[in-house]
Amino acid sequence: MRLRNLNMTRDYADDLKLFRTRQSKASIVAVLALALLLPVLLPDDFWLSVLVYAGIFAIGAIGLNLLSGYTGQVSLGHAFFMACGAYTTMMLGTRHELPLPVWLLASAVVGGLVGGIVGPFALRLRGNYLAVISLGLVFLGQHVFENWESLTGGPGGNGSTAPLSLGFLDFNALAVGGRAYTRNQSFFWLVWALVFLSLLIAKNIVRSRPGRAMQAIRDRDVAAQVIGVSLGRYKVGAFVVSSALAAMAGALFATYQQFIAPDSFNLFLSIQFVFMIIVGGIGTVFGSVIGALFAGLLPALVSKYGGSIPFIEQQPGAGGLTVFQVNQIAFGVLIILFLILEPRGLAAVWLRIKAYFRAWPFSY
Amino acid sequence: MKRKNLRWLSAVLSVVALLGAACGGSDDDDAGGDNGNKTLQAAPGFDPAAGVIRLGVISPLTGPVAAIGVPLTAGNRVWFDHINAQGGIAGKYKIELDAKDSQYIPQNAIQRYNEIKNNVVMFAQLLGTPSTNAVLPQLKTDNIVASPASLDAEWVRQPNLLPIGGPYQIQMINAADWLMKEGGGQGKTICTMTQDDVYGQAGQQGVDFAAKELNFTVKTQAKFKGSAPDFTAQVQQLKGAGCQVVFLVSTPTDTGKALGTAAQQGFAPQWIGQSPSYIGALAQSALKDYLARTFYLAGEGSEWGDPAVPGMKPMLDRLRDYQPSQQPDYYFAFGYNQARAVTQVLEKAVELGDLGREGIKRAMEQVGTLTFDGLSGDYKYGPAAEREPPRTSTLFKINPDKPIGIERVKYDYTSDAAKKYTFAEAK
Repeated sequence: MRLRNLNMTRDYADDLKLFRTRQSKASIVAVLALALLLPVLLPDDFWLSVLVYAGIFAIGAIGLNLLSGYTGQVSLGHAFFMACGAYTTMMLGTRHELPLPVWLLASAVVGGLVGGIVGPFALRLRGNYLAVISLGLVFLGQHVFENWESLTGGPGGNGSTAPLSLGFLDFNALAVGGRAYTRNQSFFWLVWALVFLSLLIAKNIVRSRPGRAMQAIRDRDVAAQVIGVSLGRYKVGAFVVSSALAAMAGALFATYQQFIAPDSFNLFLSIQFVFMIIVGGIGTVFGSVIGALFAGLLPALVSKYGGSIPFIEQQPGAGGLTVFQVNQIAFGVLIILFLILEPRGLAAVWLRIKAYFRAWPFSY
Repeated sequence: MKRKNLRWLSAVLSVVALLGAACGGSDDDDAGGDNGNKTLQAAPGFDPAAGVIRLGVISPLTGPVAAIGVPLTAGNRVWFDHINAQGGIAGKYKIELDAKDSQYIPQNAIQRYNEIKNNVVMFAQLLGTPSTNAVLPQLKTDNIVASPASLDAEWVRQPNLLPIGGPYQIQMINAADWLMKEGGGQGKTICTMTQDDVYGQAGQQGVDFAAKELNFTVKTQAKFKGSAPDFTAQVQQLKGAGCQVVFLVSTPTDTGKALGTAAQQGFAPQWIGQSPSYIGALAQSALKDYLARTFYLAGEGSEWGDPAVPGMKPMLDRLRDYQPSQQPDYYFAFGYNQARAVTQVLEKAVELGDLGREGIKRAMEQVGTLTFDGLSGDYKYGPAAEREPPRTSTLFKINPDKPIGIERVKYDYTSDAAKKYTFAEAK
């Protein structure tokens, strides 16, 4: 009979566990239950829509965190990979009306392939140089998509209505057990189910051999190479997985909005992803989700309750800052503040709180 | 149990009321017509108890196209303020506007739409061809009606849209007709310069149609991206092709930049702009002399303050009463007319006894002809396949001494080519 000690890591196996304690298992179950019940408890379209966007971005942010947070490869090209997924869906889902699993997986595969092509640049370039290359991808992508009119509809964009049925489940309007649910409710479940799937994939990558290799590359790539970590395999691999997740987010984004224009996938979107992982917590998996929720809820709160904040204009056109400007300013300011004051993001705050209670009453 | 009794009671009462109405017992004591005794059902955005109808507005209220969005929304407001001052729709339902900023970015338009779609009866304004295209699939899914502040011919046959005014294609056809027959365009090199999106395509379609009908060719088409920083390449392209007439499809900020570049390069063709390409402020800018020499505007209606138009004086009076700070503005008038169209549809919906989404669509089919007291052409409504938009245009030239800098060249005319243009079935 082994004595269970909940507060310490005593051997290597402890580090590898997905759920280290009974509490963590219980909390996962609680979160899942909340996700299942939330659309029923809160059928408000506005908030559901905000949470659906947050879920879509969370999938992309998990991908970026694997690449930048765990492997240390700075990328501003995340919007481009998202666009690849969106337009794969437009091709297969909207035009050829292939079913949901097909276009969703195909988007991930195409995104992964494109990531695999871009990945090798990371073997030659580091830091700022890689950031500039990936920045170029965004503009290259916009140019290509704006001129590929037969697929994208040109700069004016195009409707995107891919089929959303999975067997007897239709995510346009779920009807389960004699009860009908709205599109937003149905989509919420679909998106957050995929968020949990992505979390599981990411968590399993980072707690196993590839994850350790990625972190070694992030911390000291030369040293990692010396001890036998293949830079090529893991850098390109990180690009592939990260882009596949971004593309999956793009596919959901296009289908949820039922319309996309090339301009949707601009530099600001990439910056938003960077914001999410910095605020959420670089180098943590669940931090990506926190960051995406934060990035999604912040503008929503500003636009919903902006009326009670003094310097935001009440009547559009009446002067003062607009909601959009406030968001952009807030994003910039928060990135700076978090990097200076809380570089490990909200996830670190959460872990500190947890540690405090774990060691209570002897927390110093 | 209690609720059942209430339902019975109201059923009995409504039968009695109906019988009363049928027996000619017109004990009507309010302006609600034959609907005076029937309470309307609550619907999204309509609260019969509070007597409020909420309407959505999605418009660029910031950013480069706010020059159009802000006065246009002010036009909406002034008309609805006037209606509210008279008691509201059907004399008893006040209008409330919920205005959201799209910045002329389709993506944002969709998000704003999702924000408020369930709190409004319909959208009194949805500005911009790209934004309208973006929201259209959802309008169809949700069965909501929106009035586009955009004149694409594409809207004419869309059952979920409530367009007003002569489409862009018609503007350009009429302008080309004037150019060929009176404007000295015969034998000149004709080109176009268009915003590279659906809005630009609409104007280009009109010019291409006119080219076929009137036997001229378009030498070159210069395209630019909306809100582009620099127009040198496009101006060089037009200058290099020796263009003497350029049909321009743009928004005001871009017009200023493009014509400024042209003036610097000493390129002065005859410009013919589609109605959203111009704004009064341009006639007060450093460009005014260049504009007065070269620029013509294809639009609708008449000059600001024209006493011959019956609807003009009431509009100016209401502007003075409700929004005195608003300068004379072409888009203000459009917004005012748009709100007027929406009001006519809402009145009909109340008369038919349903402000729900189906009810609004039914009202559009049965409203007949929308009229604007001469401020905009009459628009014949009915089932979407039978709508007939006005095909008249007015050609203006620039005169900085006029209220919004435009002076009539040819007023309210319909060319033969414009009569031939057919509006495609909705996709």
